[in-house]
Formats: sequence, C-alpha cells, structure tokens
Amino acid sequence: MNEGDLALRNLTYARFVELGRAPTAAEVAAVGGRSRAEVTAGWERLHAEHALVLDLAAGEIRMAHPFAGVPTAYRVQAAGRWWYGNCAWDAFGICAALHEDGRIETSCPDCGEPLRIAVRDQRPDDESLLFHCLVPAARWWDDIVFS
Amino acid sequence: MNLFRSGEHIGRWLAGREPGATIPVGKLSELARAWYEDRLSPDWRPHTRDGNQAILDRLGLAGDLWRLPD
Repeated sequence: MNEGDLALRNLTYARFVELGRAPTAAEVAAVGGRSRAEVTAGWERLHAEHALVLDLAAGEIRMAHPFAGVPTAYRVQAAGRWWYGNCAWDAFGICAALHEDGRIETSCPDCGEPLRIAVRDQRPDDESLLFHCLVPAARWWDDIVFS
Repeated sequence: MNLFRSGEHIGRWLAGREPGATIPVGKLSELARAWYEDRLSPDWRPHTRDGNQAILDRLGLAGDLWRLPD
C-alpha cells in the first residue's frame, strides 16, 4: 500500500467515525483534496488489498472492518452512537477500535432470543455465550460478506 | 461468525453441516481487541499475514480452521 492510499484509507476511516456511517466518495473527496473519481479509484485499490470492502456495483463502502456500511444483525452502542458490526467478532472490534465501553445487541441465530452484552474494559459481562466460526480462515476472503 | 446461547443451539443451527470452531465469548473479546485496537490509529499500517497469524496463535486458536492462507 503506497502512502497516498494509506492516507486515503485513514481519511475514510476518520470520516466513517465522524459521520457514524460509511462516507460516500463525494464526502471523502470534499475533505481529502482529491476528486470523487480519485477517491473511487483509490477505494478500488484498497478493496483489492482487503483494506476496505466495496459494493463494486454501487461504488460504496460495504465494510470498513470492523464497521459495516449496511445494517446487520450486530448493533453496537459505543461513543454515543449506534454502529453496525459485520459479525460478532466485529461487534467487539468496534469497541476495541474506538477504545470505548459499549453494548452489543443481536439474537441467537438458532432460537432468535435477544442477546444483549455489555462490554466494559473490552470484556463481555456475560461469559456464557459462545462464538462459532463456520468458515476456515483460509477461505474468509473467498466471500468475506458470507464469512 | 455468530454468537449463540450454547453449544446445543450451535448444533441445531448447523443442521448437519460440518461444524467450524467454537470459542467462549471472552476469548472472542480478546481476539477482537488484538485484531482491531489499532484500526483507527493515525499510525496504522496494514497487518501482515504473519502478524495476524501470531495473534491467533498467541490466543491459542490452533488447528486448520484458524490457519490463514500463505
């Protein structure tokens, strides 16, 4: 990753946190000294390097791990906002990235019962829950949205 | 990559599919912290494959399921 793309990546993440959602290419271009086309081209390079995940058809951010650019089953309240995590791992990752306590809301995929977890000092208040990872690490990026 | 109430719930959800890996949520929180705590740092640099594998290894996440591609 070259320095220009690294700067674009950092700016994109910073805008994500400022806005509380995925920024558009125009919103990053407006503060980044780049044209919208340059932002999109840079995002495509970052996507290829797994530093972002784009919805290539729409040209929008699908994932900026641990943050999700679309609603998911993992809602996280932290730093005074609600966020979406891409999965259970990323839900905790949002608290870790923000260095904040938080609250995760989801439901058991089997029975649908609500699960609410408080995160304090990066630890869950309910240690009884289990995390299951179905896809082997070697194949996570074959289909990162499914993984 | 989901949270479940118990192993029984995971088994039902799998519905005959090959299981992946199951870890306690406390271990997941340790993994998330190690994986993501630098993500918003202005000094962030891309993690290397070996660096990420070292995180998994350090947390005792062993076996083929936790082996990143070379």
